Amino acid sequence: MSAFRQLLALSSAMMLAAPAYAADPITIGIPVGLSGSNSVVAPSVVQAAQLAVDEINTKGGVLGRKLALEIADDASGAIGAQRAFDSLLFQKKVDVLISMETSAARNAGLPAVNKSKTPYIYTSFYEGKSCSPNMFVDAWVPAQQVPPIVDQFMTANKAKTFFMIGSDYSFGRGMLSFTKEYIEKKGGKVVGDEYLPMDGTDWTPIISKLRASGADALITSTAGGAPNVTLTKQLRAAGVTIPYGNLAVDEGTAKGMGADATGIYISASYVTGIDSPENKAFLAAMAAKFGADLKTPNDLSVPEYEAVYLYKAAVEKAGSLDKAKILAQLGRVSFKGPRGVVTMDKQHHASLTMYLGQVQADGSVKVAKSFPNVDPGAQCPKL
Amino acid sequence: MNGAAVLTLGLDIVTTAAILFTVATGLLIIFGVMKIVNFAHGAFITLGAYAGLVASELGLSPWLGLPLAFLAGAACGALVERCVVRPLYGRPLDAILATWGLGIIIGELLTLVFGREVQFVGSPLSGTVDVLGEAYSVYRLFLVVAALIVGGGFAWLLGATRLGLATRAVIMNEDLARGLGINAGWVRFITFSLGSGLAGLAGALITPLSSVDPNMGVPWLLNAFMLVMVSGASLGALLAASVLLGGAQVVISSLASPILGGLTIVVLAALLLRVRPKGFAR
Amino acid sequence: MSRVFLVALLCLAAVLAGPLLLDTYTINILIRSFLFAAVALSVDLLWGYSGFLTFGQSAFFGVGAYAAALCFSQFGYSPWIGLLSLVAALGAAALLALVQGWLSFYHGSTPLYASVVSLVVPVVVTQILFSGGIFTGSSSGLTAYDTPDFEIEDWFRIAGVFMVLVTTVAVIFVRSDAGRVLVALRDNEARCAYLGLNTARQRILLLVVTACIAAIAGWLYAGSSGVVAPELAGFVFGTELVIWVALGGRGTLLGPVLGTILIDFTSSYASGSLPFLWKLLLGIAFILVIVALPQGLIPAVTGRLRRKRAENVVPGLAAAKPRPRPDPDQVAIYLDSVSRSFGSLKILEAISFKARPGELVSLVGPNGAGKTTLMRCLSDGAERSGGRIAINGHDIGTLPPYRCVGFGLGRKFQTANVFDTLSVAECLAVARVRLHLPSFWRRADTLELPQAALDILRATSLDQALATPAMLLSHGQKQALELAMVVALEPSVVLLDEPTAGLTQQERRQIGGVLTDLAITHGLCLLLVEHDLDFVREISSRVVVLHQGRLVLDGTVQDVIASELVRTIYAGAAHG
Repeated sequence: MSAFRQLLALSSAMMLAAPAYAADPITIGIPVGLSGSNSVVAPSVVQAAQLAVDEINTKGGVLGRKLALEIADDASGAIGAQRAFDSLLFQKKVDVLISMETSAARNAGLPAVNKSKTPYIYTSFYEGKSCSPNMFVDAWVPAQQVPPIVDQFMTANKAKTFFMIGSDYSFGRGMLSFTKEYIEKKGGKVVGDEYLPMDGTDWTPIISKLRASGADALITSTAGGAPNVTLTKQLRAAGVTIPYGNLAVDEGTAKGMGADATGIYISASYVTGIDSPENKAFLAAMAAKFGADLKTPNDLSVPEYEAVYLYKAAVEKAGSLDKAKILAQLGRVSFKGPRGVVTMDKQHHASLTMYLGQVQADGSVKVAKSFPNVDPGAQCPKL
Repeated sequence: MNGAAVLTLGLDIVTTAAILFTVATGLLIIFGVMKIVNFAHGAFITLGAYAGLVASELGLSPWLGLPLAFLAGAACGALVERCVVRPLYGRPLDAILATWGLGIIIGELLTLVFGREVQFVGSPLSGTVDVLGEAYSVYRLFLVVAALIVGGGFAWLLGATRLGLATRAVIMNEDLARGLGINAGWVRFITFSLGSGLAGLAGALITPLSSVDPNMGVPWLLNAFMLVMVSGASLGALLAASVLLGGAQVVISSLASPILGGLTIVVLAALLLRVRPKGFAR
Repeated sequence: MSRVFLVALLCLAAVLAGPLLLDTYTINILIRSFLFAAVALSVDLLWGYSGFLTFGQSAFFGVGAYAAALCFSQFGYSPWIGLLSLVAALGAAALLALVQGWLSFYHGSTPLYASVVSLVVPVVVTQILFSGGIFTGSSSGLTAYDTPDFEIEDWFRIAGVFMVLVTTVAVIFVRSDAGRVLVALRDNEARCAYLGLNTARQRILLLVVTACIAAIAGWLYAGSSGVVAPELAGFVFGTELVIWVALGGRGTLLGPVLGTILIDFTSSYASGSLPFLWKLLLGIAFILVIVALPQGLIPAVTGRLRRKRAENVVPGLAAAKPRPRPDPDQVAIYLDSVSRSFGSLKILEAISFKARPGELVSLVGPNGAGKTTLMRCLSDGAERSGGRIAINGHDIGTLPPYRCVGFGLGRKFQTANVFDTLSVAECLAVARVRLHLPSFWRRADTLELPQAALDILRATSLDQALATPAMLLSHGQKQALELAMVVALEPSVVLLDEPTAGLTQQERRQIGGVLTDLAITHGLCLLLVEHDLDFVREISSRVVVLHQGRLVLDGTVQDVIASELVRTIYAGAAHG
């Protein structure tokens, strides 16, 4: 009993302490998966947000006020996300939410966002078509990510038949159903698409089917982490050598997989090797701020960094912290960051420059081609 | 279906059965002797995998990771038997709960030490080998050998040693065994350590096919648990169950859908137990 | 009882007034905590009371939530659709519970197997939700569907009232005559079956009811939160529920409810700042509770025991209306070439005999002659390998024990077989459940027993110990209690396996008197296994001798005493 009271006292003390040191700052809520499946990438997202806030605060803040972060763990799932959103919106009363989350967590949080009419910038790539008047997205959707890889396989590798493998969840299914449509539109043929439950790691029967199908190329979209890694390892162990595009792998994971990842094609809106002054400055600032603790910036953390700047631009253009006015501006303002110029003007989504990369033997990703200003297509026609 | 496809299917069945058998043996021996289900089995598998990871990061040979994983599992199992499991003999349902709680704790501790990210262990054998003209993963074939060694080693231990004799006596009739001067507490201690060690070994054996993360053991736990339920305390029955249910999983995954395949073992085992409560035993 | 209502009214007032005092954030959290608490309550009914450890209640919560979310996302919301979705939620949950119950509970199933099935159910449900594509929203779940246009304060009151009502009804139920059958199931399911109760059906019924509670909670969750996700139906949530119930105190109802609210509420604060540590602490607390404090944390802190004995009202005893004596021409026990074998090992071979009302037949023979096996075959149709058995003219076929009891059979086991945590009066009341449907909301203040059972209680002074828990009785008293329970069934055929084993000379005389009285005064047919040949000689009207699975002699006491064969058998057994 008394332990519980102490905990309560502790947490209420923390709640009181937060606003005490900064006089009336603008608070940015970050619900993020510190535990659960997203906890691998969450620290890099938090770091990116911290850098953006520091940079803005040292230059005088926004409308003369400092920015402050409120971070809440959503446990990468629906129940945790509800807790995190409730806490940020109704207890901490944040001014904006900027976060990278699983689709389940985002969906679980949206009702609370809509109830409080708070601006929400979603910074994770996802399967697309999630719409709310209060939500903006500055990361890619399938319509932007898939075409570079498919085009590459059909033109450079002369692939006609494709095999697709995924995990059985929204992102996996959403990506591959778009991919299938796109391949067929371009005159290719999908000779098989197979899914494994989200926590499944034994791909043997699927790989046997893939080999029997005689497909020219392989495209996969699995859940991040273990399923992705096990699939790649088992593909290599089974001697599969056809062109292999992985829609769910990031640079860091590819590096960790070692030799097995060599030759994989990936498509992303951000890779560390982008040759622009903004990216170089960003990487240098990150390295200077976090030193040895630095988590490698990636396709999920950089949109978080840019979203903070996009919010700043919208507030300044609105000239006030009125949520409705800010929401009206969020789709109009632009920011030139590590990924280039980003504007969330396409039905609350953004046109992005996409990079097609291939994993090299040393684990680095070599950019094979870039595709400027790829349109997200009709994501939310009603907005 | 052509000949090559049938051959591949056959190899998939044999290797899948071997993996399932290896993973479930440790659980079986504990269930057989102590009549409790060790729900920390998944966590011990994970522990073994991390032991393999540590070995490979220390630059040791991947083969050395195997005994290391066994030792890590056995040591942890020994500790757990003394502290947690001992008061729970005769309370099998509570033992399930306590060991499940242990699994949570081990998982969280591993997370605190190693982080949540997925990590990689190199495979001691890589590439493919020709089996009757079909290329097949060498490591999966090696796992069949490993399963045979584990199973054979166990059969020898039970059949040809004093410890095995005492263990079989405890399995058949614990009161009588105690009456004959067999130290049942000691047999249990050894059994639990051995079972946990085997879980660790299985963890290290499966990682070259998969990856290492703090929750990797949990999906294995359920299948292993169901296989043990239908096998009773018999190693032979476990072998039969692994081949039949594992085979059914591969066939359904290959011919119907891998999603149904993922549910095959648990659903078939539950139905089998409903119709024939003794399962594959006798 | 009135105290229950008073507390319930206070709680109702508190949840109705709550929104006036609490901030939005707390209200939001508590809505969810209330609904989780209702599901935890259903776990406690199953696990804490009836002894069925389930990891699967989350599946029903998920079914209820998805029924609402799917109906609303397909058809929009209107009061009629709301009603339809509730019916769908209850129907689907009940159907799933029936399937799970059919799989889990049958004559011969084990608690471990039932727990295994409870693990499989959420795994299968989650997988179905995952593969449902856009229809179920797969891993993302469903959101942005129409919901009833209630304010958050209203949802708080709805969830709160639901939780208080369900808890109140559950408390009243478990304290009622019917509710204590659950505890009897937990303590000794076999005894329940041999008291003529269809235990499988009772367990399935309980599962269906608790599934409906969980489904309504899920339905309210989908309505109040506006979002559903597969993890709500998952096995991890199912185990969390068990953890909450264990920490709150299983078998107390209020403990799990308060525990769940407290833990879920604290999680909302603690898991934000220390996510991993919080889970670790919960895990450690859980193990400590399971190993060292099985009654749970809340009862341990508040010092309340699992069930306060003092509250128990001791019912007055009364004699039930006497039943007519059994028809003396009806063959009470009929065996025709009954056999039992395990593989090639023959335990019983070609046993045939008859017994009539008023007879007291002793079954004797050396150890291993098959006496207890024969008793088992007589009371459980699935036991024998061949031959025919009829009780009071009813062929038992392969019927389970409770059906055999329905034909007028009563069986007393060799070791006293009673309900440890129930009092003497409660044990007897459970024995009467077959004949009189018990009340679901109150405790009867008189306990009607047949005169013979009353005589047993009086002769052994058990009538002075009606409130004593059975586990505190002496060995002889337990034996007498079990016999009284069997007699309370008003059987016409009674099987007794060594009723005098371990009794004092005086107790033995008392039991002997009771048995002869049952046979002579009440006209029952008694078949008893007995080693004490003096005792057999005193009371038997007939003796059947078994040797190596065969019937070797069937005659009067004099026949047996005179038999050279019997002497050889016993002498041989004594030397061999």
